[in-house]
Amino acid sequence: MNTKRLILISLIALGALVLSACSGQVSNNWHGLAADAERAYISSGSFVYAVNLKTGKEVWRYPAAADSKLMFYATPVLTADGQLLIGSAGAKHPFPLVSLDPVTGKEKWVESFTKAKGAWLASPLVLNDNIYAPNTDGFLYTLDMNGKEAADPIELGGALWAAPSTDGVSLYITSLDHQFHIINIASGAVADPIDLGGAAPSSPAVGSDGVYVGSFASTVEFVEPNGRHEVIATAKNWIWGSPVVDSETLYYADLDGKVYSLDLATGSQNWDVVQPDGPIVASLLVVGDQLYAATEAGTLVALDREGKTVWEKTVGAKIYTTPVVAGDLILVAPYQAEFALAAYDTQGKQAWTFIPAK
Amino acid sequence: MWDTIIINPMTNTLLWIYDALGHGPHMFGLAIILFTILIKLITWPLNASQVKGAQAMQELQNDKDWQEIQKKYAKDKEKLAQEQMRVYKEKGINPFASCLPTLIQFPIIIGLYQSITHALSVTPFDMLKLARAIYAFQNVEGIIPLNSKFLWMDLGRPESIQVLGFALPTLAIIVALTTYIQSKLTMPTSTNPNDQSAQMTNMMSIYMPLMLGWFALNFASGIAVYFIISNLLGVAQYAATGRANWSNLLPGGNKNKKSSTKK
Repeated sequence: MNTKRLILISLIALGALVLSACSGQVSNNWHGLAADAERAYISSGSFVYAVNLKTGKEVWRYPAAADSKLMFYATPVLTADGQLLIGSAGAKHPFPLVSLDPVTGKEKWVESFTKAKGAWLASPLVLNDNIYAPNTDGFLYTLDMNGKEAADPIELGGALWAAPSTDGVSLYITSLDHQFHIINIASGAVADPIDLGGAAPSSPAVGSDGVYVGSFASTVEFVEPNGRHEVIATAKNWIWGSPVVDSETLYYADLDGKVYSLDLATGSQNWDVVQPDGPIVASLLVVGDQLYAATEAGTLVALDREGKTVWEKTVGAKIYTTPVVAGDLILVAPYQAEFALAAYDTQGKQAWTFIPAK
Repeated sequence: MWDTIIINPMTNTLLWIYDALGHGPHMFGLAIILFTILIKLITWPLNASQVKGAQAMQELQNDKDWQEIQKKYAKDKEKLAQEQMRVYKEKGINPFASCLPTLIQFPIIIGLYQSITHALSVTPFDMLKLARAIYAFQNVEGIIPLNSKFLWMDLGRPESIQVLGFALPTLAIIVALTTYIQSKLTMPTSTNPNDQSAQMTNMMSIYMPLMLGWFALNFASGIAVYFIISNLLGVAQYAATGRANWSNLLPGGNKNKKSSTKK
């Protein structure tokens, strides 16, 4: 091979490398986090980890060795019959939805949907021995507990990034094309979609008379089971995380970093806006008398019911994942940090951090 | 810095076109096409300068003086370089005229590529980044998320069509084909068997279609749409100069032309 040909091939290879490096194909995202009484489960790109809640040590990881075509970002879902469900958003086609044993991390089944054309970014919802799995291809897939298709997929249109919510009668789900959908569980009938005025990337919060959904229109919409809906609250910026219903109070936060507390009985705000130190993407978490907000600036803030700061901790990296409560621990999964998971007690004292072994 | 100067303006222009088109189904594909045309118009003088420079260099390869000094100083590289510079000066040729525009365009191509993938954010984190890159005057709530459907494609994913149970990568094939056609049409003929420039161009016409076809096969089909439109516009621009070498598309077309030129 002469020198010029070698140079030419090298230049082309370099160009390919540069463009490959710029590729958005294998994208990045923040972690998904769930927990039961003994373990935390974190989906962190190439692996799903189970972490012992007492020690902060890894119990298992899935898969055992990294597969460049498998990427896990959705929040893992625990089922009553002892499964841990998680879908892949990697480049592997068809995109697999995996059931793991939460104790051992062994595969129970892997369903590679031949129909699903998109990545799994949303968690499935498990109800009445059915798995309702929303896909970014805009379809809601229904499986039985063995991963076999149980009903025809329901086409909802826009990409589905959030798990459905339910009141036991209907499924409530948002699609990224600004639409909100109500699906009757028994009949599978889909009501006319509701335009939210902006994309809604998170799940609706279920209240006693209906559901509450925040959107990029910077509003919280209340939707009754019959489809009647109204804007009940606004924010200064996009609402990314799910609102939280706690008795007669609705908590929500926005990308300006403001935390709101709405009295659902009167429709008025309970406090002047509370603003920690940065945008809030994660949903808020209510545990006992405290409300937890995790900011993009990397701070976990505990507020009381009056909006007063009880304590705050600098976690050390951006936080987008919704904190999770596990026993008396608050779990936080920061993005691109030295550690994948940190555990705090309700007084804000760090119990442990989990650094995945290489 | 790169984001501020290149990616964000490009992404915003792309999104502005998309919004102006009504941001419905198929409109992002149309926005990519219009954006590609816009980029081609902006870089038209660069492309024209590249074509002119390449042509001048090619003509130089067939120049008797040039061939003479190549033979005469074949063993004295330093003297050869001096003589080559002298000829360049005498004939008013800038030896970098053909490659400089390419180098200048390279960041534009990379930027465009990144803008398209950026705009087609496929994860929440990508969307958060996109939201922050959008300028305040844009109708951001209305246009996010982008409707990535275009004809039979999802512009955010690699494209293929099922034919008899096989996934046929139609766009990848069209990308490779149009790249090949473009490089063949723009390849000038040379009567000099030792013309290294022609040898390089020949190699490029083989490797470039393969490389771009590979990209189209593996990456978002929005990029493939850009490559196809860009190639077609490149062909149109070259044809408009009257220099398109259509005979090169035929098997042995180049050789026939060479032999006829020799006569």
